[in-house]
Amino acid sequence: MISFTFNGVELKGQSGQSVSAALLVNKERINRYARFSGAPRGLFCGIGVCFDCMLIINGQPNLRGCLTEIQPGMIVEVQNDH
Amino acid sequence: MIISHQIIVIGGGPAGLNAAKYAANAGADVGLIDSGLRLGGQYWRHTGNAEVDESMHHNFDQGSLLMDAVNANPRIEVYLESQIWSASVINNMIILRTKDQTFQTQRLIIATGAYDRSLPFPGWDIPGVMTAGAAQALLKGNGVIAGQSVVVAGTGPFLLPVAAGISSHGGNVVGVLEAAKRLSWAPKISVLIQNPSKILEGIGYIKSLRKSKVEMRFGQAVVAAHADEDGLLESVTVANIDKDFHVKSTYLLKCDVAAISWGFTPDTSLAGSLGLKQGVRNDGSVIIEVDKDQRCTHSHSEVEIYAAGESTGVGGSDLALAEGAIAGLATAHSEKSSSQLRKLRHRAQKFADVLLQVYPVAAGWKSWLTPQTLICRCEEVTYQKVREACEELNARSARDVKFMTRCGMGMCQGRICTRNVSDLFDSEDHDRILATYRPIITPITLGELAQEGLL
Repeated sequence: MISFTFNGVELKGQSGQSVSAALLVNKERINRYARFSGAPRGLFCGIGVCFDCMLIINGQPNLRGCLTEIQPGMIVEVQNDH
Repeated sequence: MIISHQIIVIGGGPAGLNAAKYAANAGADVGLIDSGLRLGGQYWRHTGNAEVDESMHHNFDQGSLLMDAVNANPRIEVYLESQIWSASVINNMIILRTKDQTFQTQRLIIATGAYDRSLPFPGWDIPGVMTAGAAQALLKGNGVIAGQSVVVAGTGPFLLPVAAGISSHGGNVVGVLEAAKRLSWAPKISVLIQNPSKILEGIGYIKSLRKSKVEMRFGQAVVAAHADEDGLLESVTVANIDKDFHVKSTYLLKCDVAAISWGFTPDTSLAGSLGLKQGVRNDGSVIIEVDKDQRCTHSHSEVEIYAAGESTGVGGSDLALAEGAIAGLATAHSEKSSSQLRKLRHRAQKFADVLLQVYPVAAGWKSWLTPQTLICRCEEVTYQKVREACEELNARSARDVKFMTRCGMGMCQGRICTRNVSDLFDSEDHDRILATYRPIITPITLGELAQEGLL
Protein backbone atom coordinates (compact mmCIF):
# COMPACT_ATOMS: atom_id res chain seq x y z
CA MET A 1 0.00 0.00 0.00
CA ILE A 2 1.01 3.57 -0.71
CA SER A 3 0.25 6.57 1.54
CA PHE A 4 -0.65 9.91 0.00
CA THR A 5 -2.59 12.93 1.20
CA PHE A 6 -5.79 14.46 -0.19
CA ASN A 7 -6.63 17.94 1.12
CA GLY A 8 -4.25 17.25 4.00
CA VAL A 9 -5.80 13.93 5.04
CA GLU A 10 -3.68 10.80 4.75
CA LEU A 11 -5.19 8.13 2.46
CA LYS A 12 -3.97 4.80 1.18
CA GLY A 13 -3.98 3.33 -2.31
CA GLN A 14 -2.47 0.43 -4.21
CA SER A 15 0.76 0.79 -6.12
CA GLY A 16 0.01 1.28 -9.82
CA GLN A 17 -3.37 2.92 -9.25
CA SER A 18 -4.25 6.27 -10.78
CA VAL A 19 -4.91 9.20 -8.45
CA SER A 20 -8.59 9.17 -9.50
CA ALA A 21 -8.94 5.45 -8.80
CA ALA A 22 -7.25 5.73 -5.40
CA LEU A 23 -9.52 8.64 -4.47
CA LEU A 24 -12.65 6.69 -5.46
CA VAL A 25 -11.58 3.76 -3.29
CA ASN A 26 -11.42 6.27 -0.42
CA LYS A 27 -14.91 7.52 -1.34
CA GLU A 28 -13.55 10.86 -2.55
CA ARG A 29 -15.46 11.73 -5.72
CA ILE A 30 -14.83 15.45 -6.17
CA ASN A 31 -11.66 16.36 -8.06
CA ARG A 32 -12.34 19.99 -8.85
CA TYR A 33 -14.91 22.80 -8.80
CA ALA A 34 -15.95 24.28 -12.15
CA ARG A 35 -14.80 27.77 -13.05
CA PHE A 36 -18.11 29.60 -13.54
CA SER A 37 -20.73 27.62 -11.59
CA GLY A 38 -18.45 26.29 -8.87
CA ALA A 39 -20.21 22.92 -9.30
CA PRO A 40 -18.22 19.86 -8.30
CA ARG A 41 -16.69 17.63 -10.97
CA GLY A 42 -15.18 14.17 -10.82
CA LEU A 43 -13.85 11.42 -13.01
CA PHE A 44 -15.78 11.35 -16.29
CA CYS A 45 -14.04 9.77 -19.29
CA GLY A 46 -11.37 8.01 -17.24
CA ILE A 47 -8.90 7.84 -20.14
CA GLY A 48 -7.40 11.31 -20.39
CA VAL A 49 -9.78 12.81 -22.96
CA CYS A 50 -12.19 15.06 -21.03
CA PHE A 51 -9.95 16.87 -18.47
CA ASP A 52 -12.74 16.87 -15.87
CA CYS A 53 -10.64 15.04 -13.26
CA MET A 54 -8.00 17.79 -13.05
CA LEU A 55 -6.40 18.18 -9.62
CA ILE A 56 -3.47 19.88 -7.94
CA ILE A 57 -0.72 17.29 -7.52
CA ASN A 58 2.43 18.19 -5.57
CA GLY A 59 1.55 21.84 -6.11
CA GLN A 60 1.05 21.61 -9.85
CA PRO A 61 -2.51 22.33 -11.03
CA ASN A 62 -4.42 20.99 -14.06
CA LEU A 63 -3.04 17.46 -13.85
CA ARG A 64 -5.40 14.69 -14.88
CA GLY A 65 -6.04 12.32 -11.97
CA CYS A 66 -6.93 9.50 -14.35
CA LEU A 67 -3.51 9.59 -16.03
CA THR A 68 -1.30 10.19 -12.98
CA GLU A 69 -0.15 7.22 -10.92
CA ILE A 70 -0.10 7.69 -7.16
CA GLN A 71 3.34 7.82 -5.56
CA PRO A 72 4.30 7.51 -1.88
CA GLY A 73 3.92 10.87 -0.11
CA MET A 74 2.13 12.50 -3.04
CA ILE A 75 0.25 15.65 -2.04
CA VAL A 76 -3.09 15.79 -3.84
CA GLU A 77 -5.51 18.70 -3.51
CA VAL A 78 -8.92 19.47 -4.91
CA GLN A 79 -8.67 22.12 -7.63
CA ASN A 80 -10.97 25.09 -7.15
CA ASP A 81 -11.27 26.90 -10.47
CA HIS A 82 -14.23 28.97 -9.25
CA MET B 1 18.20 15.43 -29.96
CA ILE B 2 15.67 14.34 -32.55
CA ILE B 3 14.68 10.67 -32.60
CA SER B 4 14.31 9.26 -36.11
CA HIS B 5 12.63 6.08 -37.27
CA GLN B 6 11.83 4.75 -40.74
CA ILE B 7 8.25 4.30 -39.55
CA ILE B 8 6.52 5.77 -36.52
CA VAL B 9 3.27 4.30 -35.19
CA ILE B 10 1.14 6.43 -32.87
CA GLY B 11 -1.01 4.41 -30.51
CA GLY B 12 -0.30 1.08 -28.80
CA GLY B 13 -3.75 -0.51 -28.95
CA PRO B 14 -4.73 -3.44 -31.21
CA ALA B 15 -4.27 -1.51 -34.49
CA GLY B 16 -0.98 0.17 -33.55
CA LEU B 17 0.55 -2.97 -32.05
CA ASN B 18 -0.25 -5.04 -35.13
CA ALA B 19 0.91 -2.27 -37.45
CA ALA B 20 4.26 -2.09 -35.62
CA LYS B 21 4.62 -5.87 -35.66
CA TYR B 22 3.88 -6.30 -39.36
CA ALA B 23 6.06 -3.33 -40.37
CA ALA B 24 9.00 -4.56 -38.27
CA ASN B 25 8.65 -8.13 -39.53
CA ALA B 26 8.82 -6.71 -43.05
CA GLY B 27 12.23 -5.32 -42.16
CA ALA B 28 11.46 -1.74 -41.17
CA ASP B 29 12.85 0.16 -38.18
CA VAL B 30 9.78 1.18 -36.14
CA GLY B 31 9.10 3.58 -33.29
CA LEU B 32 5.85 2.98 -31.39
CA ILE B 33 4.60 5.93 -29.34
CA ASP B 34 1.81 5.71 -26.77
CA SER B 35 0.50 8.14 -24.16
CA GLY B 36 -0.25 5.40 -21.61
CA LEU B 37 1.88 3.80 -18.92
CA ARG B 38 1.61 0.40 -20.60
CA LEU B 39 0.92 -0.89 -24.09
CA GLY B 40 -2.49 -2.32 -24.93
CA GLY B 41 -4.57 0.80 -25.51
CA GLN B 42 -8.04 0.98 -24.01
CA TYR B 43 -9.00 -2.48 -25.25
CA TRP B 44 -6.13 -4.31 -23.58
CA ARG B 45 -5.73 -1.86 -20.70
CA HIS B 46 -4.15 -3.78 -17.85
CA THR B 47 -2.51 -3.39 -14.45
CA GLY B 48 0.72 -5.23 -15.19
CA ASN B 49 -0.18 -7.83 -12.56
CA ALA B 50 -0.68 -10.99 -14.68
CA GLU B 51 -3.14 -12.68 -12.35
CA VAL B 52 -5.38 -9.62 -12.07
CA ASP B 53 -5.19 -8.98 -15.82
CA GLU B 54 -6.22 -12.53 -16.78
CA SER B 55 -9.31 -12.25 -14.58
CA MET B 56 -10.38 -8.90 -16.07
CA HIS B 57 -10.28 -9.75 -19.74
CA HIS B 58 -12.20 -11.91 -22.13
CA ASN B 59 -9.20 -12.51 -24.39
CA PHE B 60 -6.15 -11.12 -22.68
CA ASP B 61 -4.00 -13.95 -24.08
CA GLN B 62 -4.25 -12.52 -27.58
CA GLY B 63 -3.25 -9.07 -26.33
CA SER B 64 -0.46 -10.25 -24.12
CA LEU B 65 1.07 -12.34 -26.93
CA LEU B 66 0.98 -9.34 -29.24
CA MET B 67 2.44 -6.98 -26.62
CA ASP B 68 5.20 -9.50 -25.85
CA ALA B 69 5.97 -9.85 -29.56
CA VAL B 70 6.25 -6.08 -29.93
CA ASN B 71 8.36 -5.65 -26.81
CA ALA B 72 10.70 -8.48 -27.85
CA ASN B 73 11.15 -7.27 -31.43
CA PRO B 74 14.62 -5.66 -31.80
CA ARG B 75 13.33 -3.57 -34.74
CA ILE B 76 10.66 -1.87 -32.58
CA GLU B 77 11.46 0.86 -30.08
CA VAL B 78 8.56 1.55 -27.68
CA TYR B 79 8.03 5.03 -26.16
CA LEU B 80 5.45 5.07 -23.33
CA GLU B 81 3.96 8.00 -21.39
CA SER B 82 4.54 10.01 -24.54
CA GLN B 83 1.54 12.12 -25.44
CA ILE B 84 2.00 14.01 -28.69
CA TRP B 85 1.09 17.65 -28.33
CA SER B 86 2.23 18.80 -31.75
CA ALA B 87 2.28 17.17 -35.18
CA SER B 88 3.30 18.89 -38.38
CA VAL B 89 5.12 18.38 -41.67
CA ILE B 90 8.25 20.52 -42.02
CA ASN B 91 10.72 20.20 -44.92
CA ASN B 92 9.24 16.89 -46.09
CA MET B 93 9.54 15.42 -42.63
CA ILE B 94 6.77 14.59 -40.15
CA ILE B 95 7.70 16.18 -36.82
CA LEU B 96 6.04 14.95 -33.62
CA ARG B 97 6.60 16.49 -30.22
CA THR B 98 5.98 15.07 -26.77
CA LYS B 99 6.87 16.81 -23.50
CA ASP B 100 10.26 15.15 -23.43
CA GLN B 101 11.11 14.33 -27.01
CA THR B 102 10.94 15.29 -30.65
CA PHE B 103 10.47 12.58 -33.26
CA GLN B 104 10.83 12.66 -37.02
CA THR B 105 9.86 10.24 -39.77
CA GLN B 106 8.71 10.15 -43.36
CA ARG B 107 6.27 7.30 -42.80
CA LEU B 108 3.59 7.53 -40.15
CA ILE B 109 0.80 5.22 -39.03
CA ILE B 110 -1.95 6.82 -36.93
CA ALA B 111 -3.71 4.39 -34.60
CA THR B 112 -5.10 6.74 -31.99
CA GLY B 113 -8.30 4.77 -31.38
CA ALA B 114 -11.55 6.10 -30.02
CA TYR B 115 -13.23 7.14 -26.80
CA ASP B 116 -16.78 6.83 -25.45
CA ARG B 117 -19.46 8.86 -27.14
CA SER B 118 -21.33 10.85 -24.49
CA LEU B 119 -24.74 12.47 -24.92
CA PRO B 120 -25.62 15.48 -22.77
CA PHE B 121 -28.57 15.28 -20.36
CA PRO B 122 -29.54 17.22 -17.23
CA GLY B 123 -27.02 16.41 -14.49
CA TRP B 124 -24.40 14.67 -16.66
CA ASP B 125 -21.73 16.81 -14.98
CA ILE B 126 -22.51 15.47 -11.47
CA PRO B 127 -19.61 13.45 -9.98
CA GLY B 128 -20.68 9.82 -10.28
CA VAL B 129 -21.91 10.16 -13.85
CA MET B 130 -19.14 8.77 -16.01
CA THR B 131 -18.61 6.98 -19.28
CA ALA B 132 -18.86 3.20 -19.39
CA GLY B 133 -15.25 3.32 -20.59
CA ALA B 134 -14.25 5.13 -17.38
CA ALA B 135 -15.83 2.38 -15.26
CA GLN B 136 -14.05 -0.19 -17.42
CA ALA B 137 -10.69 1.61 -17.13
CA LEU B 138 -11.09 1.76 -13.33
CA LEU B 139 -11.63 -1.99 -13.25
CA LYS B 140 -9.18 -3.19 -15.90
CA GLY B 141 -6.41 -0.68 -15.20
CA ASN B 142 -6.79 -0.21 -11.46
CA GLY B 143 -8.77 -3.14 -10.07
CA VAL B 144 -11.30 -0.63 -8.70
CA ILE B 145 -15.09 -0.94 -8.84
CA ALA B 146 -16.50 2.48 -9.74
CA GLY B 147 -19.14 2.70 -6.98
CA GLN B 148 -21.40 0.97 -4.46
CA SER B 149 -24.43 0.77 -6.76
CA VAL B 150 -23.77 1.12 -10.45
CA VAL B 151 -26.16 1.71 -13.34
CA VAL B 152 -24.72 0.77 -16.75
CA ALA B 153 -26.58 2.45 -19.59
CA GLY B 154 -26.47 3.65 -23.18
CA THR B 155 -26.34 1.38 -26.19
CA GLY B 156 -24.18 -1.24 -27.82
CA PRO B 157 -22.42 -4.49 -27.01
CA PHE B 158 -19.79 -2.67 -24.89
CA LEU B 159 -22.32 -2.32 -22.04
CA LEU B 160 -22.17 -6.10 -21.49
CA PRO B 161 -18.47 -6.53 -20.61
CA VAL B 162 -18.60 -3.40 -18.45
CA ALA B 163 -21.59 -4.63 -16.43
CA ALA B 164 -20.36 -8.24 -16.31
CA GLY B 165 -16.89 -7.11 -15.22
CA ILE B 166 -18.24 -5.03 -12.34
CA SER B 167 -20.72 -7.64 -11.13
CA SER B 168 -18.37 -10.62 -11.43
CA HIS B 169 -15.79 -8.76 -9.34
CA GLY B 170 -18.25 -8.20 -6.51
CA GLY B 171 -19.74 -4.87 -7.55
CA ASN B 172 -23.45 -4.16 -7.31
CA VAL B 173 -24.91 -3.43 -10.76
CA VAL B 174 -28.45 -2.16 -10.12
CA GLY B 175 -29.42 -2.26 -13.78
CA VAL B 176 -28.16 -2.54 -17.35
CA LEU B 177 -30.24 -0.22 -19.50
CA GLU B 178 -29.93 -0.83 -23.24
CA ALA B 179 -31.66 1.78 -25.40
CA ALA B 180 -32.22 -0.67 -28.25
CA LYS B 181 -35.21 -3.00 -28.18
CA ARG B 182 -34.80 -6.60 -27.06
CA LEU B 183 -33.76 -8.79 -30.02
CA SER B 184 -32.94 -5.71 -32.11
CA TRP B 185 -30.12 -7.80 -33.61
CA ALA B 186 -32.40 -10.63 -34.77
CA PRO B 187 -33.00 -9.27 -38.33
CA LYS B 188 -29.22 -9.15 -38.83
CA ILE B 189 -28.52 -12.64 -37.58
CA SER B 190 -27.17 -13.84 -40.95
CA VAL B 191 -24.25 -11.38 -40.75
CA LEU B 192 -23.72 -11.70 -37.01
CA ILE B 193 -23.49 -15.49 -37.18
CA GLN B 194 -20.45 -15.17 -39.43
CA ASN B 195 -18.57 -13.93 -36.37
CA PRO B 196 -19.30 -16.78 -33.94
CA SER B 197 -16.54 -15.79 -31.51
CA LYS B 198 -18.23 -12.42 -30.91
CA ILE B 199 -21.62 -14.09 -30.40
CA LEU B 200 -20.10 -16.51 -27.89
CA GLU B 201 -18.38 -13.63 -26.10
CA GLY B 202 -21.74 -11.85 -25.77
CA ILE B 203 -23.47 -14.98 -24.50
CA GLY B 204 -20.71 -15.37 -21.91
CA TYR B 205 -21.38 -11.87 -20.53
CA ILE B 206 -25.14 -12.43 -20.46
CA LYS B 207 -24.65 -15.70 -18.55
CA SER B 208 -22.35 -13.94 -16.11
CA LEU B 209 -24.93 -11.17 -15.55
CA ARG B 210 -27.68 -13.75 -14.97
CA LYS B 211 -25.48 -15.54 -12.46
CA SER B 212 -25.05 -12.27 -10.54
CA LYS B 213 -28.82 -11.65 -10.87
CA VAL B 214 -28.26 -8.40 -12.76
CA GLU B 215 -31.33 -7.25 -14.63
CA MET B 216 -31.05 -6.14 -18.24
CA ARG B 217 -33.74 -3.77 -19.48
CA PHE B 218 -34.31 -2.79 -23.08
CA GLY B 219 -35.72 0.36 -24.65
CA GLN B 220 -34.57 2.41 -21.63
CA ALA B 221 -32.13 5.27 -21.11
CA VAL B 222 -30.83 7.54 -18.35
CA VAL B 223 -32.30 10.97 -19.19
CA ALA B 224 -31.47 12.92 -16.00
CA ALA B 225 -29.13 12.63 -13.01
CA HIS B 226 -29.73 13.99 -9.52
CA ALA B 227 -27.27 15.04 -6.83
CA ASP B 228 -27.46 14.79 -3.05
CA GLU B 229 -26.70 17.74 -0.75
CA ASP B 230 -22.94 17.19 -1.20
CA GLY B 231 -23.34 17.48 -4.97
CA LEU B 232 -22.76 13.77 -5.59
CA LEU B 233 -24.89 11.44 -7.67
CA GLU B 234 -27.70 9.80 -5.70
CA SER B 235 -30.21 8.78 -8.39
CA VAL B 236 -31.02 8.89 -12.08
CA THR B 237 -34.25 9.29 -14.00
CA VAL B 238 -34.67 6.32 -16.31
CA ALA B 239 -37.01 6.65 -19.26
CA ASN B 240 -38.77 4.12 -21.41
CA ILE B 241 -37.99 5.52 -24.84
CA ASP B 242 -39.41 4.93 -28.29
CA LYS B 243 -37.28 4.16 -31.34
CA ASP B 244 -36.67 7.89 -31.90
CA PHE B 245 -35.43 8.21 -28.28
CA HIS B 246 -38.43 10.25 -27.15
CA VAL B 247 -39.50 9.68 -23.53
CA LYS B 248 -42.67 7.62 -23.00
CA SER B 249 -42.57 7.21 -19.20
CA THR B 250 -39.98 7.53 -16.42
CA TYR B 251 -38.98 6.11 -13.06
CA LEU B 252 -36.27 6.92 -10.51
CA LEU B 253 -33.35 4.58 -9.83
CA LYS B 254 -30.97 5.04 -6.88
CA CYS B 255 -27.27 4.71 -7.67
CA ASP B 256 -23.95 6.39 -6.91
CA VAL B 257 -22.45 5.71 -10.34
CA ALA B 258 -24.09 5.87 -13.76
CA ALA B 259 -21.69 4.49 -16.37
CA ILE B 260 -23.04 5.52 -19.77
CA SER B 261 -21.77 4.91 -23.28
CA TRP B 262 -23.44 5.67 -26.60
CA GLY B 263 -20.88 3.88 -28.71
CA PHE B 264 -17.54 5.47 -29.53
CA THR B 265 -16.10 8.55 -31.20
CA PRO B 266 -12.94 8.17 -33.31
CA ASP B 267 -9.98 10.26 -32.16
CA THR B 268 -9.11 12.27 -35.27
CA SER B 269 -7.21 15.14 -33.64
CA LEU B 270 -3.92 14.30 -35.40
CA ALA B 271 -5.73 14.28 -38.75
CA GLY B 272 -6.58 17.94 -38.25
CA SER B 273 -3.03 18.97 -37.50
CA LEU B 274 -1.55 16.92 -40.35
CA GLY B 275 -4.14 18.11 -42.88
CA LEU B 276 -5.55 14.66 -43.62
CA LYS B 277 -8.79 14.18 -45.48
CA GLN B 278 -11.65 13.37 -43.13
CA GLY B 279 -15.05 11.89 -43.81
CA VAL B 280 -18.40 11.48 -42.11
CA ARG B 281 -19.86 8.05 -41.48
CA ASN B 282 -23.57 7.15 -41.52
CA ASP B 283 -23.76 7.50 -37.73
CA GLY B 284 -22.42 11.07 -37.95
CA SER B 285 -18.94 10.25 -36.63
CA VAL B 286 -16.02 12.07 -38.22
CA ILE B 287 -13.34 9.64 -39.39
CA ILE B 288 -9.92 9.73 -41.04
CA GLU B 289 -10.47 8.63 -44.63
CA VAL B 290 -8.20 5.86 -45.94
CA ASP B 291 -7.86 3.87 -49.17
CA LYS B 292 -7.66 0.07 -49.46
CA ASP B 293 -4.06 0.13 -48.16
CA GLN B 294 -5.12 2.29 -45.16
CA ARG B 295 -3.34 5.24 -46.76
CA CYS B 296 -4.56 8.77 -45.94
CA THR B 297 -5.13 11.57 -48.42
CA HIS B 298 -3.08 14.77 -47.91
CA SER B 299 -1.16 17.35 -49.86
CA HIS B 300 2.34 16.73 -48.47
CA SER B 301 4.80 15.30 -50.95
CA GLU B 302 7.60 12.97 -49.80
CA VAL B 303 5.79 11.75 -46.71
CA GLU B 304 3.46 8.77 -46.35
CA ILE B 305 0.69 8.77 -43.76
CA TYR B 306 -1.53 5.79 -42.96
CA ALA B 307 -4.28 5.28 -40.39
CA ALA B 308 -5.70 2.10 -38.89
CA GLY B 309 -8.21 1.07 -36.27
CA GLU B 310 -10.98 3.08 -34.66
CA SER B 311 -9.75 6.48 -35.87
CA THR B 312 -10.79 5.38 -39.39
CA GLY B 313 -14.25 4.29 -38.17
CA VAL B 314 -15.23 2.41 -35.05
CA GLY B 315 -15.38 -1.33 -35.67
CA GLY B 316 -13.88 -3.27 -32.78
CA SER B 317 -10.60 -5.05 -32.17
CA ASP B 318 -10.78 -7.63 -34.98
CA LEU B 319 -11.18 -4.88 -37.55
CA ALA B 320 -8.46 -2.82 -35.87
CA LEU B 321 -6.02 -5.75 -35.94
CA ALA B 322 -6.67 -6.41 -39.65
CA GLU B 323 -6.34 -2.72 -40.54
CA GLY B 324 -3.18 -2.42 -38.47
CA ALA B 325 -1.59 -5.39 -40.22
CA ILE B 326 -2.48 -4.05 -43.69
CA ALA B 327 -1.16 -0.59 -42.79
CA GLY B 328 2.03 -2.12 -41.37
CA LEU B 329 2.75 -4.07 -44.56
CA ALA B 330 1.90 -1.14 -46.82
CA THR B 331 3.98 1.36 -44.85
CA ALA B 332 6.98 -0.99 -44.89
CA HIS B 333 6.56 -1.36 -48.69
CA SER B 334 6.36 -5.11 -48.18
CA GLU B 335 5.90 -7.46 -51.14
CA LYS B 336 3.96 -9.83 -48.90
CA SER B 337 0.38 -10.45 -49.99
CA SER B 338 -2.28 -9.03 -47.75
CA SER B 339 -5.22 -10.70 -49.50
CA GLN B 340 -6.03 -12.86 -46.47
CA LEU B 341 -5.93 -9.77 -44.24
CA ARG B 342 -8.22 -7.92 -46.64
CA LYS B 343 -10.77 -10.73 -46.34
CA LEU B 344 -10.58 -10.50 -42.54
CA ARG B 345 -10.98 -6.74 -42.74
CA HIS B 346 -13.99 -7.05 -45.03
CA ARG B 347 -15.74 -9.49 -42.70
CA ALA B 348 -15.02 -7.40 -39.60
CA GLN B 349 -16.18 -4.25 -41.40
CA LYS B 350 -19.50 -5.87 -42.31
CA PHE B 351 -19.96 -6.91 -38.70
CA ALA B 352 -19.18 -3.39 -37.49
CA ASP B 353 -21.61 -1.82 -39.96
CA VAL B 354 -24.38 -4.12 -38.77
CA LEU B 355 -23.69 -3.28 -35.11
CA LEU B 356 -24.16 0.42 -35.91
CA GLN B 357 -27.55 -0.40 -37.41
CA VAL B 358 -28.59 -2.58 -34.49
CA TYR B 359 -27.57 -0.01 -31.87
CA PRO B 360 -28.45 3.38 -33.37
CA VAL B 361 -28.48 6.68 -31.47
CA ALA B 362 -31.67 8.49 -32.52
CA ALA B 363 -32.05 12.27 -32.63
CA GLY B 364 -34.72 12.29 -29.92
CA TRP B 365 -32.00 12.63 -27.25
CA LYS B 366 -32.22 16.36 -27.91
CA SER B 367 -35.65 16.30 -26.22
CA TRP B 368 -33.94 15.30 -22.94
CA LEU B 369 -32.17 18.68 -22.73
CA THR B 370 -33.39 21.52 -20.52
CA PRO B 371 -32.26 25.15 -20.95
CA GLN B 372 -29.75 24.68 -18.10
CA THR B 373 -28.23 21.42 -19.42
CA LEU B 374 -24.55 21.81 -20.18
CA ILE B 375 -23.61 21.13 -23.78
CA CYS B 376 -19.90 21.95 -23.34
CA ARG B 377 -18.67 20.70 -19.97
CA CYS B 378 -15.32 22.52 -20.09
CA GLU B 379 -16.63 25.99 -20.89
CA GLU B 380 -19.94 25.37 -19.08
CA VAL B 381 -22.03 26.39 -22.09
CA THR B 382 -25.70 25.60 -21.54
CA TYR B 383 -28.27 24.51 -24.12
CA GLN B 384 -29.95 27.89 -23.60
CA LYS B 385 -26.73 29.69 -24.67
CA VAL B 386 -26.57 27.53 -27.78
CA ARG B 387 -30.18 28.36 -28.63
CA GLU B 388 -29.57 32.07 -28.01
CA ALA B 389 -26.66 31.90 -30.43
CA CYS B 390 -29.04 30.51 -33.05
CA GLU B 391 -32.07 32.63 -32.36
CA GLU B 392 -30.51 35.97 -31.37
CA LEU B 393 -27.05 35.89 -32.91
CA ASN B 394 -28.10 34.12 -36.11
CA ALA B 395 -25.73 31.18 -35.81
CA ARG B 396 -26.35 28.95 -38.82
CA SER B 397 -23.93 26.09 -38.28
CA ALA B 398 -22.17 24.13 -35.59
CA ARG B 399 -19.03 26.18 -36.29
CA ASP B 400 -20.93 29.44 -35.76
CA VAL B 401 -22.12 28.15 -32.38
CA LYS B 402 -18.58 27.19 -31.46
CA PHE B 403 -17.25 30.68 -32.17
CA MET B 404 -20.16 32.48 -30.48
CA THR B 405 -20.45 30.38 -27.33
CA ARG B 406 -16.99 28.77 -26.85
CA CYS B 407 -18.61 25.32 -27.13
CA GLY B 408 -15.67 23.02 -27.80
CA MET B 409 -12.94 25.55 -26.97
CA GLY B 410 -12.08 24.35 -23.46
CA MET B 411 -9.46 22.02 -22.04
CA CYS B 412 -10.72 18.91 -23.85
CA GLN B 413 -10.64 20.89 -27.09
CA GLY B 414 -14.07 19.75 -28.17
CA ARG B 415 -13.44 16.03 -27.89
CA ILE B 416 -16.55 15.49 -25.77
CA CYS B 417 -19.03 18.05 -27.14
CA THR B 418 -18.14 18.69 -30.79
CA ARG B 419 -20.03 15.69 -32.09
CA ASN B 420 -23.11 16.73 -30.10
CA VAL B 421 -22.91 20.33 -31.27
CA SER B 422 -22.76 19.04 -34.84
CA ASP B 423 -25.74 16.79 -34.09
CA LEU B 424 -27.75 19.73 -32.77
CA PHE B 425 -27.36 21.21 -36.25
CA ASP B 426 -27.52 18.03 -38.23
CA SER B 427 -28.79 18.78 -41.67
CA GLU B 428 -29.14 16.64 -44.76
CA ASP B 429 -25.71 17.59 -46.06
CA HIS B 430 -24.11 16.30 -42.83
CA ASP B 431 -22.36 19.57 -42.05
CA ARG B 432 -20.00 18.48 -39.26
CA ILE B 433 -17.18 20.17 -37.40
CA LEU B 434 -14.05 18.34 -38.57
CA ALA B 435 -10.75 18.18 -36.71
CA THR B 436 -8.84 21.32 -37.67
CA TYR B 437 -5.21 22.39 -37.53
CA ARG B 438 -4.18 22.93 -33.93
CA PRO B 439 -0.60 23.91 -33.24
CA ILE B 440 -1.13 22.46 -29.76
CA ILE B 441 -3.13 19.24 -29.78
CA THR B 442 -3.23 18.64 -26.02
CA PRO B 443 -2.60 21.28 -23.35
CA ILE B 444 1.02 21.98 -22.41
CA THR B 445 2.37 24.51 -19.91
CA LEU B 446 4.26 27.65 -20.94
CA GLY B 447 7.14 26.35 -18.80
CA GLU B 448 7.33 23.19 -20.87
CA LEU B 449 7.30 25.21 -24.09
CA ALA B 450 10.07 27.42 -22.71
CA GLN B 451 12.18 24.41 -21.78
CA GLU B 452 11.99 23.27 -25.38
CA GLY B 453 13.28 26.67 -26.47
CA LEU B 454 10.04 27.29 -28.33
CA LEU B 455 9.19 30.55 -26.55
